[in-house]
Amino acid sequence: MEGGFDFAILIRNAPFLWGGMVLTLQLTGLAVAGGLALGLVLAVLRLSRIPFVPALVAGYVNFLRSMPLILAIFWFYTLIPKLTGQSVSSFYSVLIAFILFEAAYYSEIIRAGISSVRRGQIAAALALGLSNAQAMRYVVLPQAIRTMIPVLLTQSIVMLQDTSLVYVVGLRDFLTTADIVAGRDSRPVELYMFVALTFLVVCFSASRLVNRLRRRYAL
Amino acid sequence: MIELKNVSKWYGAFRVLDDCSLRIAKGEVVVICGPSGSGKSTLIKCMNGLEPFTRGEVTIDGISVGARDTQLPKLRARIGMVFQNFELFPHMSAAANITLAQLKVLGRDRATAQAKTDALLARMGLADHAAKFPAQLSGGQQQRVAIARALAMDPIAMLFDEPTSALDPEMITEVLDVMVGLAEEGMTMAVVTHEMGFARKVADRVVFMDEGAIIEDAATAAFFGTPRSERAQHFLSKILQH
Amino acid sequence: MGSYRWNWPILLADPYYGWIVSGFGNTCLIAVLAWIIAFPLGSAIGIARTTELRPLRFAGTAYVEVFRNIPLLAQMFLWYFVVPELLPQDWGRWVKRDMPYPQFLTSVLCLGLYTASRVAEQVRSGLEAIPRGQHHAGLAMGLTPAQVYRYVRLPVAFRIIIPSLTSDFLGVFKNSSLALTIGVLELTSQARQIEEYTFAAFEAFATATLLYCAVTGIVILAMRQVERRTRIPGTIAIGTQ
Ligand SMILES: Nc1ncnc2c1ncn2[C@@H]1O[C@H](COP(=O)(O)OP(=O)(O)OP(=O)(O)O)[C@@H](O)[C@H]1O
Ligand SMILES: [Mg+2]
Repeated sequence: MEGGFDFAILIRNAPFLWGGMVLTLQLTGLAVAGGLALGLVLAVLRLSRIPFVPALVAGYVNFLRSMPLILAIFWFYTLIPKLTGQSVSSFYSVLIAFILFEAAYYSEIIRAGISSVRRGQIAAALALGLSNAQAMRYVVLPQAIRTMIPVLLTQSIVMLQDTSLVYVVGLRDFLTTADIVAGRDSRPVELYMFVALTFLVVCFSASRLVNRLRRRYAL
Repeated sequence: MIELKNVSKWYGAFRVLDDCSLRIAKGEVVVICGPSGSGKSTLIKCMNGLEPFTRGEVTIDGISVGARDTQLPKLRARIGMVFQNFELFPHMSAAANITLAQLKVLGRDRATAQAKTDALLARMGLADHAAKFPAQLSGGQQQRVAIARALAMDPIAMLFDEPTSALDPEMITEVLDVMVGLAEEGMTMAVVTHEMGFARKVADRVVFMDEGAIIEDAATAAFFGTPRSERAQHFLSKILQH
Repeated sequence: MGSYRWNWPILLADPYYGWIVSGFGNTCLIAVLAWIIAFPLGSAIGIARTTELRPLRFAGTAYVEVFRNIPLLAQMFLWYFVVPELLPQDWGRWVKRDMPYPQFLTSVLCLGLYTASRVAEQVRSGLEAIPRGQHHAGLAMGLTPAQVYRYVRLPVAFRIIIPSLTSDFLGVFKNSSLALTIGVLELTSQARQIEEYTFAAFEAFATATLLYCAVTGIVILAMRQVERRTRIPGTIAIGTQ
């Protein structure tokens, strides 16, 4: 490494890197929201008694969970334009890939949360005259949510890190912008270290918060 | 009031209930006993439709439990049930446990429900514990909250499934006292229990089950005097030994 | 999709067939080698986090937190582009010029060290799931703390975490696809390359997907057998998935 650690390069490129960070956060936020919504639907369908539906959902979930995320990104990046016949911006192709992919993971977390509530609780709710939906709404979900939330948040932190994989289709997220600067100015050490440290600080603090939350609300 | 006619239930090839018939009249207290695994819990859960049954008929106040067009939630709201493991909702305070179904099922307004809750808690001797969560209460206190929760619906009958078997001896009495009080007020009750002292004191009839079948159904005095079946005699001798 | 021209036979043509085979081989090889690093290292770190020795516990925690809070792709770049620059000059030169299979070995190292942090967490939670009474009973018999680990706690802990270790192994298998970012020709990158050369995108990705699914299925079935074989009589399997 020549000439020691060059902080100035980070400052010079701050606006460009910040642009990347914004894309990373947008992608994460949208994918978390979409993934949670779809994941909840999948979990409820999987626990339902509608014929064939639970098996279909299980198939979908297990299929996506046995595929690398990079491959899923490639799938959607190349296929969505072909399927729709028009050019979709790569941001949206990738966003769809993330939502469909993460929903599989979220749905498993939600399902485990719901199943962790003891069966006797449902019996007690029904014995009081609550309907199935009311039992779900007032008795099962409030208990399930306490066990689910920390795991869902942890999964979302993982997802924040996973968004860096959009590098493979050249979308300019935080890591990719850093990579561009690193290549252009031949300063890989500064740039990659900066990216790693930023993620480390952000994700470590976030997981600390999740742990505090878990302890505070543990039943 | 509660009537079971030839109720049978199978789990696959295993017969849990074998042609059970039973009538509980208004104001009657019936104790159900029998060895572990004999189907007592299953039987009592058939009475409010928590367990579906394969064959036979269960009616409550003339309404068929198994019929497709019966609104089970409505029916269950009129029958109170108390569980072995209390099954209080752990995320709600004692008071909220008692108020929930009053609001969501009976549609009472909050003030009425709250007043009812306070009165029941006071009656159970738990007025000071309204704001506590289930995990902060002793077993006996939890079970009394559970009884209050059931009574809050103004039930026409109460079902008890081993309400004292998860409790330490000193707490058993506090729960049994409440139940004796209910019986003396004329509540219709079906009670699965091995507390033979309780049965002697308040039961009108005792039902003995074994291997899914009702072996004996006799007036209390007759049951403790001379049980007809050998199996009931054997069971009684074991349970009364101590 | 109507205008899509299917071309499955192309996958059996030269050189594409060979690409898929070698890509699949590389994927499996990276995963297995990385696991060979991750399993013992992760177990050691997991054990360290449950000992009474504060420095050991701290080091273990630090390792886990660092490795799981940096994106794996950033770790890949650190090992490949940054670490050689920070090494003493001779070593750096050797790594950059003379080390054989630099991309391949770098990705094995990176994935191995990362996966070790996950294994460590599983081992720790397995050990913590064992009631303290077991530990005390072992000590009361006169076993040393190390012996208690060896004969009492670890045999039970590893049985408990077989399902989570399985999913960690599948994790390293899927994560091996990240090696493509530093130029290793593993399964995903070969599929991508076939797509670029032939435009048979659907066929290429479907083949890769199928291969990933097949390995996942086989590993899960195999691990169920392991679980069944090692089950302690009279206990219920925990979280068979
Ligand atoms: N879901 C099920 N599948 C198969 N068998 C079951 C199921 N639930 C209960 N059983 C069986 O049905 C029988 C009756 O069970 P039940 O719980 O009614 O017994 P019980 O008389 O209440 O026993 P206890 O005194 O132990 O509570 C038991 O032999 C039990 O093993
Ligand atoms: Mg029972």
